Amino acid sequence: MKKMKKLVAVLMAALMVFALAACGSQEKAEESTEPASLADMSWDEIVEQAKGTKVAFYGWGGDENRNNWLNGTVADYMKENYDIDFEYVGMDINDILSKLTSEKEAGEESGSIDMIWINGENFYTAKENGLLYGPFTDQLPNTEKYIDTEDPETLNDFCKPIEGFESPYAKAQMVMYNDSAVTPETPKNADELMEYAKANKGKVTYPALPDFTGSAFVRNLIYEKCGWEQFQDMEADKETVKKAIEPALEYLRELNPYLWNEGKTFPADSTALDKMFQDGEVVMNMSYGPFTVASGIADGTLPETCQTFVFDNGTIGNTNYMAIAFDAPNKAGALVAINAIISADLQLTQYSELRDLPVVDQDKLSDEEKEAFDSVDLGKGVLTQADLLEHRLPEMPADLVPVIEEIWEEEVVGK
Amino acid sequence: MKDREYMRDPDSSTSGTHIHEKTEDRADVRSVSRNEERTESRTEKGSGSRNRCMRAVLALTVFFIFLPVIVTMLWTVTGRWPWPSLLPESYTTRTLQELFSGSSSLHEILRGSVLIATIVALLGTVIAMMTARATEIYRIRGRQIISWSAMLPLIVPGTVFAMGIQVILIRMGLGDTVAGVILVHLVAALPYCVFIMTDITAAVGSNLEEQAQILGAGPVRSFFDVSVPQLLPGILSSASMAYIISYSQYFTTLLAGGGKVKTLALVMVPYIQSGDRALSSVYAVTFVGSALIVFFIFEALIHRIMRSEES
Repeated sequence: MKKMKKLVAVLMAALMVFALAACGSQEKAEESTEPASLADMSWDEIVEQAKGTKVAFYGWGGDENRNNWLNGTVADYMKENYDIDFEYVGMDINDILSKLTSEKEAGEESGSIDMIWINGENFYTAKENGLLYGPFTDQLPNTEKYIDTEDPETLNDFCKPIEGFESPYAKAQMVMYNDSAVTPETPKNADELMEYAKANKGKVTYPALPDFTGSAFVRNLIYEKCGWEQFQDMEADKETVKKAIEPALEYLRELNPYLWNEGKTFPADSTALDKMFQDGEVVMNMSYGPFTVASGIADGTLPETCQTFVFDNGTIGNTNYMAIAFDAPNKAGALVAINAIISADLQLTQYSELRDLPVVDQDKLSDEEKEAFDSVDLGKGVLTQADLLEHRLPEMPADLVPVIEEIWEEEVVGK
Repeated sequence: MKDREYMRDPDSSTSGTHIHEKTEDRADVRSVSRNEERTESRTEKGSGSRNRCMRAVLALTVFFIFLPVIVTMLWTVTGRWPWPSLLPESYTTRTLQELFSGSSSLHEILRGSVLIATIVALLGTVIAMMTARATEIYRIRGRQIISWSAMLPLIVPGTVFAMGIQVILIRMGLGDTVAGVILVHLVAALPYCVFIMTDITAAVGSNLEEQAQILGAGPVRSFFDVSVPQLLPGILSSASMAYIISYSQYFTTLLAGGGKVKTLALVMVPYIQSGDRALSSVYAVTFVGSALIVFFIFEALIHRIMRSEES
């Protein structure tokens, strides 16, 4: 799959060269005139301009609960409060970025995407390539009102500076889970995980990198073995990284013989592992959604005896964000919508309906709001928000991620 | 000639999805049945065991086609179905609720999908018919190049094509429009349509049409009254093929339509990718079911036309 994508990317690059050669001159000049005027407007003027318009929010469409929340709760809220028609369009981030790239290349000034659900590497590339509009976060009243502007996760996304080009949307955190009816023990660190794998030989595994979840899990084990601080400003040089993560590589190789299929192969992606767990083929699963277990139990796809756990030293957490496309046809509307989504009102419904960690700063909430958040019933088999935040570690720099994935493929699989 | 038409008709009309395999199958069946006739006249015993063997193969085929369909149907209402249970452990109506009252309104998506696919089927078949006539009957100059270049879209991978065409569509002002999506689907479907129509046009030839013209029929009448009825099985195959290709386009629709043009495949694929088996199944059943219904309508229409031709 990855190979295929690479092939496509190379071919696309070749096509672009031809296209650019054919029509080099008309590209430039469409940037920076219009955004300036919006940046000078007061918030009231922006809200006024957004009235009666349509906003299209593009992002991953594979979570039916989130689709329903956005097209239901959020859309109703936008209509009622701002007279905005809000629509969520399901599209993979890779496709969104390639669409924006094409639009930029075609010299499109008014595309179809207003807001984008984005983070990490994708944000970094999009920002570098001028596919995003900004900076805009300082213009939103709710940034100051609800968001902790000093929080590293507000300032940096995978250690790359945000500089006002995206606003927090929801927080995620790596968790592991198993069925207490099958295996009651919950490994508290990497060594206990090793014992657990030995005790359940062939029934533990993780998704093959570069799967998002599998990759995060391996980074988490790297943190276990090598600490997390040294990676925060590490250069994305293969030799440096390899040297730094050597103890973790050693550990992973040692783990291999006790894994599913003796670590010769790994499930292709987290979806495959989810199915294996549901089928009882493996005894442990993992997720970047901290309340996955509760949703699973509520949906009936997971047994009621499932339990979530994290390592004592913590697990990796990240924030996902909302950005605005460079050619968004309705930037004012997007600003208003993003401002609304980071409000306590909508963050609360996101927390209660989707069980996603809110991005609002607990210290900035009023007592009533705080109480409302505390009274949310998270469902069965999960850890509390406080528990999670206490065990939360920062992500690695975005450009280290592909380097580690490459090293894993060379040094761990089948070794 | 007449006999062969009748043989061809029933199986080409059942479904248009696997034309290539179908034609091979058909050839096999024909040669087998010919062999059978021969052996039958010689010994009764041999044909009996062969018959039984054939029946077993048939039963197995049916089993392997229907088992997954039944399992998929079961999954649509399954909550949990862990190994090694023979039947699901728990059932749910979550999927049906999502399908009928979720955020993506089903009738709108179905209408969009069916409309686009039908137009593609219609245009694709008409264009293919004209191409086939040009190359097979009028034998215009450079016809080999035309036939060959009609197959070109098969060479370029769909994803690459979609990324390139998107830029062109935006420049033409057709980005994110239904018309743009139809154009892109048409390119994907045409090679198959042309392939099918070329085959049947070559088989039918122009003799009967010329005869009708000798007897005084005009070119329009001789084409519609003489050639088209003979071409009908091919037209049906070509239309069904174009329909199902358009119906199942995901990536090209996504890029050409920019997510604004909504089709069933566009809503279904993310759920399949996210691994929600129950939700994927419910959409898969809807997808196959709605396509089958449209095929039945196609067939009924064609049969009606044929009957009115006969009377």
